[in-house]
Amino acid sequence: MELDDLKKNWKQNIPKKTTNTDIMELIQHKSYGPIAALKKAYRRQIVLMSLLPFILLLGQIDDLSKPLTSVLFWTYVAFCVAMVIFASYNYRIVSNMEGMDAMVKDNLEQQVNLLDTRMKNMLTGQKVVMLLLIALTEIMPYFQHYRMLDKWHSLNPMIRYGAYGLLLVFQYFVGKWKFKTKFGEHINYLKNLVKEMQYQ
Amino acid sequence: MEKQFEVYIKQNELLLYKICRIYAFTDTDRQDLFQEMVIQLWKAFPKFKGKSKFSTWLYRVAINTAITGLRKKKDFIVSYEPSQLPVQAYETGSIEDEQWQQLSYAIDQLSPVEKSIVLLYLEDKPYEEMEDIIGISQGTLRVKMTRIKEKLRQLAKKIDYGT
Repeated sequence: MELDDLKKNWKQNIPKKTTNTDIMELIQHKSYGPIAALKKAYRRQIVLMSLLPFILLLGQIDDLSKPLTSVLFWTYVAFCVAMVIFASYNYRIVSNMEGMDAMVKDNLEQQVNLLDTRMKNMLTGQKVVMLLLIALTEIMPYFQHYRMLDKWHSLNPMIRYGAYGLLLVFQYFVGKWKFKTKFGEHINYLKNLVKEMQYQ
Repeated sequence: MEKQFEVYIKQNELLLYKICRIYAFTDTDRQDLFQEMVIQLWKAFPKFKGKSKFSTWLYRVAINTAITGLRKKKDFIVSYEPSQLPVQAYETGSIEDEQWQQLSYAIDQLSPVEKSIVLLYLEDKPYEEMEDIIGISQGTLRVKMTRIKEKLRQLAKKIDYGT
């Protein structure tokens, strides 16, 4: 049987209706697509990171001068602000993916580009955060939290820098693995579709 | 605007069911896909300016939604695995012809892009409109269609339906 022979059958065939066909009710539902899920995750991240400094302050409500004069606290604040900016940026990237009315090929290419950019940004962001953390651990005890000078800083510099190196290597591989399992499969799936469309 | 949207969708409801039929295999998946397509159409509706036919616009949104994948639990794409489906999954339409089911099963083995081409071909869409929906040039579409037909022929031969 040829595909052309099926045309008549296809046209006459009325597929089984889905259970809920109330259009007005359906549009009230939330989207469960990957884009909606990503947007939700970023919204959650923005809210959580905005609240975190206040939660930390609440924990020290008896003596607010302590956290407010701590370098560590202000580092948390800076980190949270950076995370909010980063999440907002990613939210904007993902929002751009929402328009589903482009040609299928264009839509796929756009999604691949945006997801690739987003993944590269996140991997870079992770590296920057780790480097800042290392710099902070090295510098901060000279200004505050002096006790660290007797502990971590009293170790042989080779051991310390070796540990940082290991941490960076570990973070590099774990980060890549995490993104590969979480998003890489989806990006590869989209890339394969784009490739399939590009060639005859 | 809601009323207008409802009228448009009702007029083209059958197209959506057919897309669900091609891209999803179980009733639950079809229901989910139908719902997601309607939501995406509703979101995109304010941008529809009538430059193209409504059905062309609808095909774009619906196929994009179907191809990009639904999300279930924490995984990204629904595991559409036709080979894992029981034969009963295909006994859904009013046509019980064995050959139809064989070819239908063969279509399920195609890639999402190939399925979109087959879908539009079965709907008798001219290549010009197919190009407008999928974004692949007419020449390439013709070549792809010839290859898909051959692929379906081979797949249908391989499928020993009912065993």
